[in-house]
Amino acid sequence: MSTQVVPTLAPGSDVLGRLKELALSKDPEFFPLMRAQTLATTSAEDMLLLAALRKRAAQRGLVTQQKPVRVAILGGYTPYPLNELIGHLLATGSPVSWNAEFLLGDYDNYIAEIVEESGRLYEFRPEVILLFPSHRRCHYTGQWIDSREQQEAAARNTAAQILDLCRTANARCGAEIVLANFPLPARFDPGPYRARTLASDWNFRKVVNLELGLNAPSYVHICDVEFLSARRGTLEAWDARAWFESKQAYGRGLMLDVAREAAHLIATLRETLKKVVVLDLDNTLWGGVVGDDGLDGIEIGDTSPRGEAFKAFQQYLASLAARGVLLAVCSKNDYDKAAEPFEKHPEMALRMADFASFKANWQPKSENIRQIAQDLNLGLDSLVFVDDNPAEIEIVKQFVPEVGTLLLGPDPSEFVAQLQDTRWFEPKTLTAEDLERAGQYRQEAQRQDLLSSITDIDAYLESLEMQAHIREFHPVDAPRISQLINKSNQFNLTTRRRTEAQVLAIIADPAYFHFTVRLADRFGDYGLISVVIGKMDGEVAEIDTWLMSCRVLKRQVEEEVLNQIVAMAQMRGAKRIRGVYLPTAKNGMVRDHYANLGFAPAPAESTERYEFELETQSCQPKSTKIRIVERPYDAN
Amino acid sequence: MTQTEVIARLQPIFDDLFMEKVNLTPQLTAAEVEEWDSLIQISLLLAVEKAFNIRFRVGEVEAAKNVGEFADLIVRRVNGGA
Repeated sequence: MSTQVVPTLAPGSDVLGRLKELALSKDPEFFPLMRAQTLATTSAEDMLLLAALRKRAAQRGLVTQQKPVRVAILGGYTPYPLNELIGHLLATGSPVSWNAEFLLGDYDNYIAEIVEESGRLYEFRPEVILLFPSHRRCHYTGQWIDSREQQEAAARNTAAQILDLCRTANARCGAEIVLANFPLPARFDPGPYRARTLASDWNFRKVVNLELGLNAPSYVHICDVEFLSARRGTLEAWDARAWFESKQAYGRGLMLDVAREAAHLIATLRETLKKVVVLDLDNTLWGGVVGDDGLDGIEIGDTSPRGEAFKAFQQYLASLAARGVLLAVCSKNDYDKAAEPFEKHPEMALRMADFASFKANWQPKSENIRQIAQDLNLGLDSLVFVDDNPAEIEIVKQFVPEVGTLLLGPDPSEFVAQLQDTRWFEPKTLTAEDLERAGQYRQEAQRQDLLSSITDIDAYLESLEMQAHIREFHPVDAPRISQLINKSNQFNLTTRRRTEAQVLAIIADPAYFHFTVRLADRFGDYGLISVVIGKMDGEVAEIDTWLMSCRVLKRQVEEEVLNQIVAMAQMRGAKRIRGVYLPTAKNGMVRDHYANLGFAPAPAESTERYEFELETQSCQPKSTKIRIVERPYDAN
Repeated sequence: MTQTEVIARLQPIFDDLFMEKVNLTPQLTAAEVEEWDSLIQISLLLAVEKAFNIRFRVGEVEAAKNVGEFADLIVRRVNGGA
């Protein structure tokens, strides 16, 4: 990548003047310029200037549309001005601008604030708690010559106490916790002996950080300050003057890094994850133009440094695929020429089977990308597009703005880092389903082949040999259930999002009934594909949540899910079942879902909520081609 | 460098930070300027340290009561005095 020249914001710089002009004239061009500057700025000084400018522009009425989020910052430090930086970074984020409302804990009062049940922390009802435990409580207080076991136990205990605080806070208010671990000290003291004992702050903090990360429950998201301090250099991690003057946790540079990381974590907890990387071919996956240079002429593989760099990029993409990211190709080429290297070139790290979708033709790339999204049944906002040609990137930005874009630079040795720096594909937690996803899309392609060879749909479904497991929610499944609840947009009747803690609360509440469906057929396992939550309301069982993976549409899963809902509602004495449809921009496909299943529409009171009812008495189980291997009441 | 020279060099730094023009005088205090909040104060100190290539010592900025005393402090730091 050509090193971009970042305009400095030093006093008198044009950018600052331009931003001020735009702010004073209330020109909305202020926002894109502010966002670009915020992305480019690497010094805390400049970021504070930008934060101050944005605030004052807002005071003058220059505001953009924002989504709210309530964030509590607690810890062994003064949260100011870290909150200003985090607030600014969240507000200038893209695609969503977040309006963070902060509760700032008192200096070094975090333990009491979390433990006290009736205090301002829980009154505030935080959605996210940023916790910065004090480094003064992360220190070995015994002797340097104490046994290693004793010192290890102390480190484990320090980490356990911090995680206990997280557990308490999450149990009391359901907030997600962003937990900062400890930066490493930069001073030479006690010399090389630091490596030989766990009593040195250097080793002690490393063990505590390890323990925190390895034992953190899924609602705790580690803000890895150890990593950030190493990345920037530990000498900049600590500023003694800032500590004595105003109890600052970090030196300025690290403060900015931590603010960026915290803002990133808060935003990505709430935004759609990227699932597909759509790739150009010529000068992206290999050097040269296959249409002109031919199979033998392209640069790929270990025979030249450039070829090696392209191969390393392919290998990195393969590693993304191995952790569940889907790969797709979108290239202006004749199909046969584009496919040839993947089929015949011995040095290619990627093969045709690695791609969930492969578009090589002469249509506009924006059209091909829409088609890829449709083929894979995914929203455009879960796609990103990577190309070395600025014109193609521009077209995609303009015609499919939901798609993230990356313009590769002229040097292929930097491609991997460029893609990594977008931070598009960072898993929060990895589930087995994520890793199976790529295989599932390939299986889908095989099923489509079968479908085109069979004309009778019943015979087709029969031939799939489908098997389903229907189970009530179990606490061990809560992470997967919450993950599916939070990422399903299209086949989702109510789009109600729920954290893991909320799922656990539903399991514990007898007013609710709930189950998950897993489906497999002879081509493979779909994994967890449906989540249903019902709630009893007198004689009515209301379907609070019904979502399904779009991959299993038209497989009669809907019918089996309804059979299960009716059975569970009847067991609870329900006379009627009420289905609710809450329309969103993405769930139009289920508008007629309940009507199709025989529910009677109730008179609509608004265009934001539609209700449908079904008498349980008149309901006969629908027969399907799915064999139900397991049902909830089998266990009773 | 004198107090007056320092104030003259501070003026463009203030012009960048504040939306409304602030005319610097030795007697001016933060309380008299509406925009001068804690966020501006931090940005200002960082910008001044950078512009004059100095580093204030712990607690001494707090002790300066107005722009004049702040400028005197900068003079001392620039000259390397105690």
